[in-house]
Amino acid sequence: MSIMEIKQVGYSYDNKKKVLKGVNAEMEQGKLYAILGPSGCGKTTLLSLIGGLDSPGSGQIYFDGQDIAKTGLSDHRKNHVAFIFQAYNLIDYLTPAENVSLTSKLPPLPILERLGLTKEEAKRNVLKLSGGQQQRVAIARALASEAPVILADEPTGNLDEDTAQDITEILKESAHKMNKCVVVVTHSNELAKQADVVFRLKKGELQVLERVQDGAAQPQSRRNNTPRSERRAK
Amino acid sequence: MNLGIRAFLYSARKWKKTLLVFCLLLAITTLVLSGLAIADAQEEQSEELRGVTGASFTVTANNGYTLQPVTDEMIEEIAAIDGVESYNTSQYTIANLYNQDTLMKGTDEREGVSDLFYATGCFDSEYSPMFLTGALRLTEGRHVTEGDGGIILYEGLADKYGLSLGDTLEIKNGNPDDPLVECEIAGLFEVIADGDDEQATMAKPSTLFDYKDYVFVDMDTMSAVSAPYTVSEGNGIDSVDFFVSDAAKLESIVQEVQNSTSIDWNSYYITVSNEVYERISSSIADTTTLVTTLIVVITVVSMVLIILILSMSIRSRKRETGILLAVGIAKPAVILQYVLETLLIAVVAFPLAYLSSKQVAGVLGTLFGKAAENVIVTPQHFMLVAIVGGILLVAAVLVSSISTMRLKPKQILSQME
Repeated sequence: MSIMEIKQVGYSYDNKKKVLKGVNAEMEQGKLYAILGPSGCGKTTLLSLIGGLDSPGSGQIYFDGQDIAKTGLSDHRKNHVAFIFQAYNLIDYLTPAENVSLTSKLPPLPILERLGLTKEEAKRNVLKLSGGQQQRVAIARALASEAPVILADEPTGNLDEDTAQDITEILKESAHKMNKCVVVVTHSNELAKQADVVFRLKKGELQVLERVQDGAAQPQSRRNNTPRSERRAK
Repeated sequence: MNLGIRAFLYSARKWKKTLLVFCLLLAITTLVLSGLAIADAQEEQSEELRGVTGASFTVTANNGYTLQPVTDEMIEEIAAIDGVESYNTSQYTIANLYNQDTLMKGTDEREGVSDLFYATGCFDSEYSPMFLTGALRLTEGRHVTEGDGGIILYEGLADKYGLSLGDTLEIKNGNPDDPLVECEIAGLFEVIADGDDEQATMAKPSTLFDYKDYVFVDMDTMSAVSAPYTVSEGNGIDSVDFFVSDAAKLESIVQEVQNSTSIDWNSYYITVSNEVYERISSSIADTTTLVTTLIVVITVVSMVLIILILSMSIRSRKRETGILLAVGIAKPAVILQYVLETLLIAVVAFPLAYLSSKQVAGVLGTLFGKAAENVIVTPQHFMLVAIVGGILLVAAVLVSSISTMRLKPKQILSQME
């Protein structure tokens, strides 16, 4: 049962450059999705549309069968999705614990400790933490929000290899153990290898890549670009 | 975490920015409160001046042809007009004074004139030109008013004859057959003016009498003293000065008097006297304009400055705005947080400004020629500034937020990358 459904979504910058051309996709809880693609191809834009940070020029995005444009983007951002950004995007005058509490009534310390921060670190100014620690705080904030969908925009882009591996594991666990629908935009093949489903965004169209035995992904036929619901109907 | 906690944490942890806005608000509010206090002191001074500059009009009979005096009915009718504070007339005679049958002598020692005094009959001696212009000043007792049978004389003369308030004297005209009229000493005066210095005292020494030989009696006493010499019918008053409480209203009051149909204006004419007010009021008006302009300029410049600083502050928080929106906090809640932060500062700055302005206003007031003790910052000033200032601050935050809030969260965040 898909929790997010993207139907014929199109988007252009300033009504000129069309970056998304009728994108279709379905995403389920309990899975880690990776979206690959060259810089500037519209990956972050697609993630923003899924997360209600912007509105598509055409098409619809459904959460749990409801058009998010109709239920309200602010409500969608508040209740359905949580973001993890490459630049962490933490509030700089709040401590890690307070950042986590921004959107959650859960006690922040257990989540932060589970993600590897000590109690002392949880009370420091966020800007005094390392990049990896800040990204863990951002993930903790996303997980604490209890949103069923986690959208991560190049979450390991600014991190060293070991930390990136840790973050990848956390995201994977979030999908598989916490039953989240985790969508990750990435350039990292390592992260993509861990994903259950890999999309490639190319020339404004989204392709699902088939997984091969060594973990690398190969493109499926273009027909797979059609949403599953429509394929079933055919 | 609710927006109140966020607002408090921001204000506390970004204390340098908070301090900057606080200092600015404190300075601006202090200046505006001081300005309001100075403006009020200015207005008060202006109002006082309008009441004390002796603005008056005089109703005079065309006695040359008609011998028609200013009647008691006319005086009552005009005195009843709203804005007419008092009235007076001055009738003069040369009189002798007797203290227990002893003929009193004044300052002039020349033979034949040493026992003569210049007596003025008044409805109210307070409005006699000699007292109004400051040539004489009452040092003891009270002024004489209509029908009180009192007399005011020079304090040195009283000393010379061992007289004090409440003692009685007799006054008469110069001829032996003239009636003696008893009167009680109501007040004593000192001479302020130099009799030779006409410009400095604004007094016109039209008589040859030294001011120390002046005495003032009420009109009834004067009528009794002058009875043998009165040739006109009625009370014998040929002109009455009417004093107004507000010099600015003199013109309209005179107009109202002239519109009276019960007075035969062929027999009387009106002259207006407000030279002192006109002269002083123009300089007062200049100062009032200056003070008002300064307050307006200070307020406008301050508001522009505060809007600029708030605007810069909110623009510098674009990223934070984008993050808050991205994590699902609604736009109104974000704006409300910024408003609350500003009001938190104002809640501290405004009362402190009230206290500081109490000190500063007096000092600034002296620059505008006001006595420091007259420049008072009142709770009403504070309420006005707090309410208007609060509204302006909220408006400033809203205006500053518009440009950011019109963007979608993605646009804000992508601008920050």
